[in-house]
Amino acid sequence: MMTADADRGGNSAQVLRVANLTKHYGREQAIARVAFSVTAGEVLGIVGPNGAGKTTLLELLAGLLAADSGSVFCLGEELPARRRKEALFYLPDGIRLYQDRFATEVVTFFAGVYRRSDAEVAAIISSVGLEPVLQKRVHALSKGYNRRLLLAVGLLTPQHVLLMDEPFDGFDLRQTRNIIEVVRNEAAKKRTFILAIHQLADAERVCDRFILFAGGQVRGVGKLDELRAQTGIPVGSLEEIFLALT
Amino acid sequence: MRSPKAYGVYAGPLHPLLAKELAAIVSGRALWIVLLLVCPLVGYSFVQAVSLYSEASAAALESPVLATSLSPLDGILVPTFGSLYVAVTLLFPFVAIRVLGQEKESGALRLLVQLPYRCSTLILLKLAAVLAAWAMVSIPAFSALAIWAILGGHLAAPETLNLLFGHSLYGLLVGAIALFAASISESSATAAIIALAATIGSWVLDFMLAGRSGLSAWLAQLSLTQTLRPFEQGLLSAGLVLGIVAVVCGLSALASVWLPPGTSLRGKVLRSVPYVLVTIAVLGAATQIGQSVDVTEDRRNSFPAADQKLLATLRLPLVITVHLIPEDPRYVDLKRNVLEKLGRVMPNVSVVLAGNRKDFASNSRQDTYGEIDYTYGPRSDVSRSTSPREILPLLYALAGTPPPAPVVGGEYPGYPFVTSADATWFWFLGALPLLIALSWWRSRHSPRVKFSSMAEGGQSWSQARASD
Repeated sequence: MMTADADRGGNSAQVLRVANLTKHYGREQAIARVAFSVTAGEVLGIVGPNGAGKTTLLELLAGLLAADSGSVFCLGEELPARRRKEALFYLPDGIRLYQDRFATEVVTFFAGVYRRSDAEVAAIISSVGLEPVLQKRVHALSKGYNRRLLLAVGLLTPQHVLLMDEPFDGFDLRQTRNIIEVVRNEAAKKRTFILAIHQLADAERVCDRFILFAGGQVRGVGKLDELRAQTGIPVGSLEEIFLALT
Repeated sequence: MRSPKAYGVYAGPLHPLLAKELAAIVSGRALWIVLLLVCPLVGYSFVQAVSLYSEASAAALESPVLATSLSPLDGILVPTFGSLYVAVTLLFPFVAIRVLGQEKESGALRLLVQLPYRCSTLILLKLAAVLAAWAMVSIPAFSALAIWAILGGHLAAPETLNLLFGHSLYGLLVGAIALFAASISESSATAAIIALAATIGSWVLDFMLAGRSGLSAWLAQLSLTQTLRPFEQGLLSAGLVLGIVAVVCGLSALASVWLPPGTSLRGKVLRSVPYVLVTIAVLGAATQIGQSVDVTEDRRNSFPAADQKLLATLRLPLVITVHLIPEDPRYVDLKRNVLEKLGRVMPNVSVVLAGNRKDFASNSRQDTYGEIDYTYGPRSDVSRSTSPREILPLLYALAGTPPPAPVVGGEYPGYPFVTSADATWFWFLGALPLLIALSWWRSRHSPRVKFSSMAEGGQSWSQARASD
């Protein structure tokens, strides 16, 4: 398995490349020839309104949906859908893991699967602020704590790239800032994040680069400055740029 | 925080996964409710069985001949486990579906399939958890066996273990059906409908087609109910065990094909085809395996030992042509008393049903109705008897072999036993449900949090907030 740890020695090379990913539901085109790449330690935001196809794109990347065409390459090697879990781990939006179980049991399970030491687990729990609810059942967790539990699970995984769907949904401003800090700390260790976000302000705060996405199509790719140059809005916010491009 | 380690894509350790599956079963209400329902069900069957057995024993104590017909296998074990069979058929699918259905409904499956395990590994461990759940559901029946032994009742180990083995295979079969149903369904409710359609449907099939012949008889053999009968008769049949294992493996393989969400429907169907074909082929092969072992203490499925020994040496083909319709009670007797026993002991026996109801209704065949032709090598003979006392000498005559000398001694004595199990109501309706409820309550306790509150060099969320 390709591990996130294995290729983080200061190598900022392209870690993931997506080529012409396409998905139809019947006659409706959900994802149209999407292509992009991401480097190690980068936080890439897939930004778009609800219904843009962000979740579909993440599920295609993770191999949880069958693509009609297109390829995903990791470190130059093509990964068929069944091998995507070698390089990618996807945290879906709106799931509650094992609702009858205690939060600590869920963490223990994933830590056991990935053979994490107690110290590593404790550090992750601490970083996402999960301690107060470890002895609560998952169904009793607030939306924010459920989100933190999912983030803790994501941080326990060893894959190169962590895909997260709406990671800030359910957090207030302060909580969002803390989660952004957790993500940035992980990215500093050369782990790559691809985040699907519909709130542009959050995206602007956390992401290094953006894919502006609407109607299943990429409308723009680049850093904020590059997008500003592309749209001719020199001091525009991401929101203004998005409106200009879509 | 993160140490570089090598993680094989399918090399995840099994124990956390198995522990999760077992905990998923225990943490749900379904298992405990089924367990509580099984208590009175098994208790009633057991108390009734002991009562009837005692009544029969009271008469048999005066007559050694009557005593030989008293076997705890028929009198106690089969009825007691029969109630477990009903519970497993009707209720156990709800327990088994939970191990996969809940993950599908909550979305946890999308994380599960990303873990470093093959889908087949995920399904096998779920099946192991289902088997563990069956063992838990069987606790009241196991306790009934223990009570019978404590009361002083006789238990023959081979036939008891054989019956338990049969019920465990049946539980596994129902569990595999439930798992497959859960893998192809989006919700647990749909999975339950599919699983119950299979279990109750085959039950209905068994009732509707009982005693029929031809296609109906073949269809009736597909009933799940049929899987337990040989075990209840004290037979360990290699073909049956292979057939059940083949179906369990086939359903598990299909469940692992249908589990991952990233495969198209067409892809799943195409990948299912080889598994279905292999399962059918193995099932077909299993029907050709006639080997079975009579594990009963009274050797009810075998001829006397001396006859068994001699018949096993008759190597020429024996063709038995039966001029009876399958529904005729004489054919049922003949099959049970002679044909099945011969099939197990002689190496080359063929049974031919000479005609159907219409054939025998015509005048030309009426005079031969009831005859049974025996052809051994070049010789043949006819009899109308269904008793081995007449048929075995006929066979020895055909083979030109003198009948064996009867072995004196070693006859099955029977186990008449007069007792009352009324007091066990306190166990089945009081103590055992209480223990189950306590275990349920205990299972809902919060586990100990083993991770230290602060890791080296890490900054806690609360500290971060305080510093804001």
